[in-house]
Amino acid sequence: MNAENRPLPIIEVINLKKKYGRIHALKGISFSIGKGEIVGFLGPNGAGKSTTLRILSGLIPADSGEAKVCGVDLAEEEGQVRNHIGYLAENNPLPEDLRVIEYLNFRALLKGLEGSRLRDRIKIVLETCDLERKISERKIGNLSKGYRQRVGIADALLAEPRLIILDEPTIGLDPHQSAVTRKMMERLRGEVSFLLSSHILSEVEACCDRMIILSHGQIVAEGSLYDLQKRFINKTIFEIVVSGSKINIQKEVRLIDSTCELLKDDPVEASGKRRFTFSTLKGDSVAESIIKKMFQHKDLKISEFQITRPDLETIFLRATKKNWDEKDFIRAH
Amino acid sequence: MKQYLVILKYELFALFISPATYVATFYFLALLGIGFRFFIESFSYSDWILPPLSSLVVGLLFGAPALIPFITMRCFAEERRLGTLETLVSAPINISLLVVGKWSACFLFFLCISILSFCYPLLLLFIFPEQGYNLGFNNIEHWVGGGIYLFIFGGTFTAIGVFSSSITKNQMVAGMLTFTLLTLYIALMTFSFGDSTSDEYSSKPDKLIGALFGSFNNGLVKLEQFSVGLIDISTILNQISLTIFFLILSAIQIERLNK
Repeated sequence: MNAENRPLPIIEVINLKKKYGRIHALKGISFSIGKGEIVGFLGPNGAGKSTTLRILSGLIPADSGEAKVCGVDLAEEEGQVRNHIGYLAENNPLPEDLRVIEYLNFRALLKGLEGSRLRDRIKIVLETCDLERKISERKIGNLSKGYRQRVGIADALLAEPRLIILDEPTIGLDPHQSAVTRKMMERLRGEVSFLLSSHILSEVEACCDRMIILSHGQIVAEGSLYDLQKRFINKTIFEIVVSGSKINIQKEVRLIDSTCELLKDDPVEASGKRRFTFSTLKGDSVAESIIKKMFQHKDLKISEFQITRPDLETIFLRATKKNWDEKDFIRAH
Repeated sequence: MKQYLVILKYELFALFISPATYVATFYFLALLGIGFRFFIESFSYSDWILPPLSSLVVGLLFGAPALIPFITMRCFAEERRLGTLETLVSAPINISLLVVGKWSACFLFFLCISILSFCYPLLLLFIFPEQGYNLGFNNIEHWVGGGIYLFIFGGTFTAIGVFSSSITKNQMVAGMLTFTLLTLYIALMTFSFGDSTSDEYSSKPDKLIGALFGSFNNGLVKLEQFSVGLIDISTILNQISLTIFFLILSAIQIERLNK
C-alpha cells in the first residue's frame, strides 16, 4: 500500500524512547498503522517489541516521543486509550478458577458493556473464536493452550476495539490452532487494525499486510513483503531443472547476462536431471529472457523453471544482521 | 463506580470459591466459639472489667493476625504470580479503583466473619435469655460500640494485608508479612495498654503524637471506651487515615510495577 492511499493512521508513533535503568529498550522509533491494516512486529528477543506494544496499550509510559492510538495522545490520556484497544499479553495470563463465560462476562463489565450489548458481544466473540457452548462452560484452568489463547483473543475482541494488539498470539500453538487464529484475523480484516508481534515468520508472512522489523530498539526495516524483498535482496534468483544436456549452461546464460552467477549445481535425485540455481542483478525480466533463449536450444530439455522469492526469514536475518554486527563490533572494541 | 462494583463482585466471588478461606474461617470461628464459651463460664469469678461482649471483640482483634492473611494474601500476589494483573490493567480501569475494590472485598469478608462470630452471644441471648441479660447482651450500646471498633480496625488490618500482597508474587510471603505486621501492630497496642500517663501530665509532643496516632498505640485503651458504647471520633479518624495510607501504598506499588 502506498503512503498516499493509506487510510488515516490508527497508530502514529514519532521518535518513541524508553529506558529500563541503563538499557535503552527503544531508541526513538517512528511508524504508523492505518485503519484495517494487519501489521507484523518482528525482531529478535530483546529488540523492544513487547515494550512498544505495552506502551501502545497504555500499560507503561514512554520516556519521550509522541504516540497516538486512535487519535488519543498517550502522554496526555494514557488510560483513555484502553477504551479503543483489545490487548492480548504475551503468554496470555488468565485466571484459572473462572469458567470461560464467567471470565468474559467479568471482562465485558470491566470494559463498560452492559445489558443486551454485553450478551450480544459475548455471543459474537464466542462464535468468532470457536468457543462453542461446552467449552464456554469449562474452567479456564482445564483448557488446552489453544483454547486458552482463543479465550484471550475473545477477550481482546469483546468491546469492538478499533485496534487489537497481540503479543505472540500463536506461540506454543499447533498448526491447526495457529490456522484458527489466522482465520479469525482474516475474518476481521479491514474492520479492525491488528498489530501483532511474533517469532513465527511464516505466520506473519501469511497474514500481515506490512511488517516492521525491530532490532536493538530501532526499526531496521518496514514495508510489505514485496518492498522488503526488493530492498534487502537486490538479486533475482532463478532455478532451471534440465535433462540430457551436453552444453555448458553457465556459459549460455552468461552470454545473455554477464552478471549472472551460478550459485548451485545439484543432481535431482535419480532422475538424471540437474538443478541449476543462478542469481542476476538485472531483475526478473532478464531471468525471463534467459528462459526464452534456453527453450530455443535443441540439446536442452527444460523440465522446470522458477524465479524464487526470498522468504521473510531471509529478509529478517539480513535486516537484523547489520544491527547485530554493529553491536558485536561495539562490544569487541 | 460501576467498575468498582465489578471488581468487588469478582474479588468476593474469588474469595468464596477459594477453599483456603473456608478452612481458615471454620477454624477461626470454631476456636473463637470455644474461647467465648470458656470465657462466659468463668466470667463471674474473673477480674474482667469490660462488658462480656468485648471479649469477643478482643478475640477477633488478637485472632486477626491468623485470619487476615488467609483473606488478603491472594488478592495481588496471585494476580502477579499468574501475570493476570497485566491483563486486568489492560482494561480501562483506574489502579486506585482496583486497589479499593480488592480491599473492599477482603474487608467485607472479614465483616462477614465478624458478624458470624457475633452470632454466639446472640444465640446465647436467644436460647438462655436470663443469662444473656445477666451478661449484658441486651445492651445495644455494647453491640454498636464493639461493632464500630471491629469495623475500623478490620479496615486497617485488611488494608495492611492488601499492601503486603501487593509487594510480592508469593502468596505465602504475603501471608507471613501480613501476620508479622499485624502481630507487631497488636504488640504495640498491648505494650502501650495500661500506660496511665494522663493528658494533664503529658508533654506537648506526647499530646501531639497521641492526637495523631492515638489509636495506633492506644488501641486497647480505646476499646475500653468503645465496648461501653462511647464512640471516640479521633480513633475512627486515626484508623481511617491509617487504612487510606496503606491503600495508597498499595496503589503506588501496583503503579510502580507497571513502569
